[in-house]
Amino acid sequence: MARLSRSGQKPGKRSAKRLILFVFIFGAAALVVAQSAPQIRHVFDPVRTAAGDQLGGSDSISLWARISGQAARERRIRDLESEVRELSRYKAAAISMAERLEAYENILNLMGEPPVRGVTARVTAESDGPFAQTLLANAGRAQGVDPGAIALNEGGLVGRVIQLGEYSSRILLITDFNSRIPVMGEVSGVRAILFGGRDGLGSLTDLPERSGFIEGERILTSAEGGAFPRGLVVGEARLLGGDWRVKFGMANRSGGYVQMVPPPLIETPAPVEDIPAADATGGPAQASAAQGVRQ
Amino acid sequence: MARRKSGRPSKSLWSQTGPTPRLLFGAFAIAAIGLLGLTPKTLFGLSIAWPYAALWGAVGWGRVGLSLRPMVFLIIFGLIQDISFNAPLGCFVIVNLVVYGFSAWIASMFDVMHEPLVAVIAPVLQFISGFLVLWLMASALEDHAVRATPLVAAFLTTGVIYAIVHKMFDLGRAPGQPVGQTT
Repeated sequence: MARLSRSGQKPGKRSAKRLILFVFIFGAAALVVAQSAPQIRHVFDPVRTAAGDQLGGSDSISLWARISGQAARERRIRDLESEVRELSRYKAAAISMAERLEAYENILNLMGEPPVRGVTARVTAESDGPFAQTLLANAGRAQGVDPGAIALNEGGLVGRVIQLGEYSSRILLITDFNSRIPVMGEVSGVRAILFGGRDGLGSLTDLPERSGFIEGERILTSAEGGAFPRGLVVGEARLLGGDWRVKFGMANRSGGYVQMVPPPLIETPAPVEDIPAADATGGPAQASAAQGVRQ
Repeated sequence: MARRKSGRPSKSLWSQTGPTPRLLFGAFAIAAIGLLGLTPKTLFGLSIAWPYAALWGAVGWGRVGLSLRPMVFLIIFGLIQDISFNAPLGCFVIVNLVVYGFSAWIASMFDVMHEPLVAVIAPVLQFISGFLVLWLMASALEDHAVRATPLVAAFLTTGVIYAIVHKMFDLGRAPGQPVGQTT
């Protein structure tokens, strides 16, 4: 009689199942290794975006949202709606001031920031696991979100869209270790590169050797590299243990919504031979254009 | 314990349930809790460490030995976790299957059903191994040592909840095995 194990399985059958388990584990490991090649990783992108659409594209309110205070949020929405009505009175004044500002910019030949248009979406899923820290928002290509769009909330910069589905967007948070954001101090003007730290605070690298930030000053995006527009609030500078760290502004105001604005579009410069000669355009006009692109 | 008039203890509905319905019920519970975990998880302003529900299945289902159906469920759950955590496909599959295999191996070596000390220590070791494998894989794939705090918090939540609901993931006997070992 064949000897049974504690689980009541025959040794032959057990070893076959053990073999199947090893085959599955090695198969999964091979899949992981294969994805180290970008070409293979991109093959799975449609699967991820389709799953993201299913997870994040629905407008229905989840059970958890109901349990964890949906009623309070609805009350907040009503409050905000009344605030919007009040603010609409200021909108007319702002439009008038914007027109005047545009006129002044034209007089000075100043290259201003492009007007912001964006899509506001609800955060439907977030992952705080060991891998990239991301959010899933319920707006995608169909709602007009652009690849690489910048995500903002009431506190400031949230992150950047790294995967775009038809009805969902996955946003890489600025708190993630892999995110790199060129920033500057609002008062000091010191430039640095920001990346996420393990303790919830941002770390700064590539700082100038002889100057530092001012304690408590706001940290803004510097627009270097062209991935982010200039002047978005990222957080506050803190000096901890001799190192400059950033307390993220987005963490204070996580209302469950993000606004996704298109990334800045920098047109490719024209080749030198295409630029008209100085005598054809006139000296003063060229000098004026050069001043215009300075920020 | 409830007794019949004849004096014999009455069997609960769960103890009379076969391994396949138990497996399906456990899988449904994992799917439901996993889906809830995808939503933003703050309660009264505090963020909640959500458990890795699939590990309950890996630990609980492995106690009756290796079987194909739990493996298939664990692979499916692993792929869903990979997508939701934005991990390379296959990472959570490996974690789930390694823990499942470890659980089955411990069950074949020790009496995990009746030895109280083993019954407590074995799941703890299995969860630790699962989170260790996950941390190592994440660190290797992300090119830096990833944050351990969320993992430790999730590990504690997973372990504490498993201690309460472990019966839900007890198959009694391996699916497809003859009757006679249902607990």
